[in-house]
Amino acid sequence: MEELDVEPAITNIPAASDGKHLGFAWGPGDILAYETLYMAPGAKGSGCSFIHEVRKDEDIYSPILRKLFNESHHIFVGLQTIREDLPSKNKKTQFVSISKNYRSVIRACMEELQQVAASVLVLQVSILLAIELIWNLCEVLFIDAAPAGPLLLHLLDWVRLHKGDVDEKAREVLQSESPAEHHDYWDVVVSYVLQGRFEEARQMLVKQATLQPAARNMYKLMDTLLSKMPFYNPGGTQTLTEFDVKWRHWHEEVDRCLQDNSFASNQHLEIICKILVGDEDTLLEHKELLSTWYHFLVTRLLFCHPTVKPTELHYYAQSCMTMFLDLRSVPEPLDSILLAAFEFDIHQVIKDCSIALNNWWFVAHLTDLLDHCKLLQSHNLHFGSNLREFLLLEYASGLFTHHSLWQLAVDYFDNCPEFGHVYLELQIERVPLDTERKALKVLRICEQRQMSEQVRSICKIMAMRALRNNRLGSALSWSIRAKDAAFATLISERFLQDYCARGTFSDLDLIDNLGPAMLLSDRLTFLVKYREFHKLYEENRFSEAAKLLLSLITAKIAPRSFWMTLLTDALPLLEQKECNVVVYLLLELGDMEKI
Amino acid sequence: MVHDAQMDYYGTRLATCSSDRTVKIFDVKNGGQILVADLRGHEGPVWQVAWAHPMFGNILASCSYDRKVIIWKEENGAWDKMYEYCGHESSVNSVCWGPYDFGLILACGSSDGAISLLTFTGDQQWDVKKISNAHTIGCNAVSWAPAVVPGSLIDQPSGQKPNYIKRFVSGGCDNLVKLWKEEDGQWKEDQKLEAHSDWVRDVGWAPSIGLPTSTIASCSQDGRVFIWTCDDPAGNTWTAKLLHKFSDVVWHVSWSITGNILAVSGGDNKVAYTL
Repeated sequence: MEELDVEPAITNIPAASDGKHLGFAWGPGDILAYETLYMAPGAKGSGCSFIHEVRKDEDIYSPILRKLFNESHHIFVGLQTIREDLPSKNKKTQFVSISKNYRSVIRACMEELQQVAASVLVLQVSILLAIELIWNLCEVLFIDAAPAGPLLLHLLDWVRLHKGDVDEKAREVLQSESPAEHHDYWDVVVSYVLQGRFEEARQMLVKQATLQPAARNMYKLMDTLLSKMPFYNPGGTQTLTEFDVKWRHWHEEVDRCLQDNSFASNQHLEIICKILVGDEDTLLEHKELLSTWYHFLVTRLLFCHPTVKPTELHYYAQSCMTMFLDLRSVPEPLDSILLAAFEFDIHQVIKDCSIALNNWWFVAHLTDLLDHCKLLQSHNLHFGSNLREFLLLEYASGLFTHHSLWQLAVDYFDNCPEFGHVYLELQIERVPLDTERKALKVLRICEQRQMSEQVRSICKIMAMRALRNNRLGSALSWSIRAKDAAFATLISERFLQDYCARGTFSDLDLIDNLGPAMLLSDRLTFLVKYREFHKLYEENRFSEAAKLLLSLITAKIAPRSFWMTLLTDALPLLEQKECNVVVYLLLELGDMEKI
Repeated sequence: MVHDAQMDYYGTRLATCSSDRTVKIFDVKNGGQILVADLRGHEGPVWQVAWAHPMFGNILASCSYDRKVIIWKEENGAWDKMYEYCGHESSVNSVCWGPYDFGLILACGSSDGAISLLTFTGDQQWDVKKISNAHTIGCNAVSWAPAVVPGSLIDQPSGQKPNYIKRFVSGGCDNLVKLWKEEDGQWKEDQKLEAHSDWVRDVGWAPSIGLPTSTIASCSQDGRVFIWTCDDPAGNTWTAKLLHKFSDVVWHVSWSITGNILAVSGGDNKVAYTL
């Protein structure tokens, strides 16, 4: 991309000795590097004669990820067929549902990978986790585009979905002998509160309350506070302003409890009360339970500003990130991506993801979906293609190097209006035609898209191959399909030579049923008609046979080299009383001889 | 030491050539490396190899310091010499097959300053056209333009054989990049592109993606890589853009299949990818 403002990644090629210049060659999806003779001045090194294969991403060879590619392809194709004329409200619902489909495919893949439990795959799983996290946020902010009110609820769902360890811990605690005395008990309660899961928090607190009858009133108070916290109901009749008013009342009530020291004697309840009032310092004390700055962000919004507007998000996001990550100076790629999302900078999100990830799968599909939602302004790259198309082309080109995934790539190219067709033309010629079946598959794809050049090229390759393996019938049908007159002539010659050598024809089925295709070349026509002559003779239809033979000569499509053979064929006709025909034949031949 | 390596059309076979005068062919399907053929016939280091389009069968061209160009063909599983061209007076540095639309045609650049064009006319016959003094001192690289019919953006009436214009680019020791065009069966110098200050080591004409622009990459002993673009379909005005100046000689440039990545190999040993 022309605005690349980071240093491109350097891939070191091992065992390349110092000083020798590397040469290289492009393969379909990789580069070969090898040492050459050329040396920089002063270099020594005896050099090695290895050839190194440098490949960009191995993902397409992973069997589990293959499911990801296959299923997302299915979703992609479905997305392209959504009708433009649908009202935008219906479209939005469909887009959100498609987004969820993609995410469920990612999750399914993740779960499978986790079950395999090889150490090598841990990285893969964490990458998928990050991808799903980002996609989910993009869905909430861009595709669903929730306004103030529902926005916070969606963000809460988002955080809850990606913080699975709370439930695990809770299960452990609840399954123990005395849950309220478990060392993780309070962590679980606080975690529930931090995530706005008050029902569950209350149920947990009941267990503690029964253990401390003396503090019953305190627990009752906390329970009341938790049960009364207003949550915005998008489907209800309450307006956002009304909700805001209610929420402020509740907030003041909680604050009063703090000022009154209602929970002063119970350190844990005091902490929870402070959280409910949105005290930043208390929240930050629970960094471990929050574990990420974006959890901190959502929790802070929940307790300070539940009516947050989308446009206000980035202020909070930036400050939360700064507060949370005070020890680390450089945010990780994931952090920058999420921040860009909170800033609604879609292009930055896509750009950062493209750089951070090895495989184009994620950015290609997400960008495509966002484009359908009409969220991408036209962003021209230097060959004039828009961003969506660029990413899809890159992704599909990567698929093309795979021995079976290349078929998926075809649909992606089909849906790139500007360069898809020409990219397909360039790539499809490189698919190895190992078997006739594969060749036919490739051919069908080309024929369906009127790629006549490629059709011709493939047919010629197959014809040549068949000829080299002495499969004349196959060679002939391929050259007919390629409409290659010259080649058809060549093969017909071979057939005729074979006949002269052995006295019989091969591949009779084919020759007898060519129909109008026989007109492709003179030699071919002659071959077919000559065979017909033999058939007529065998059926004792001598006069027709004779007439055919004569017409072959007069029409001048009989090759000179064959005249003797034809004469020899004509001789038996003398016995069949077709003498006059034979005479005409001789006369004709005599005439032609003179010319 | 290996001098050049080229994958065949499908990436299933690899041909390498080296200063030990041999050309070797490997089967590299599924990550393997099996030696399939060891072709001997050159009497000096072999500089380059080039695979022809598979529709002509398995054909490989090689060129060498021994002034010869040899075309090898695989017949019934065995490789053999199909044709040997000895028409140059000095080392032949570069060979490049033309687009299959032109048939089987090979361009060869030599240190004697000439460029030969060998066209297969059938039945083991090759037609030879020579451009003498293409580059003073010597020609180092040749590369064909993709087959484009003039006015191809308009539909060609079907059934007519298209009128292709054959063009290729060459780079030489005269520091020049030259474009050649065939007119009425004769090859003429079409353009002279000056920008390098030392020997041009390699040139590459980018694949066509259907736009009316043409793009050429050239690299030189002076460490520079230039990208030349021409926007008018007639091919008359070329503009140079310096892609990068490396600290050492740049030996080799090569375009990916769709022409969106240029790989550059240079003396400071960085293989750079550029879009």
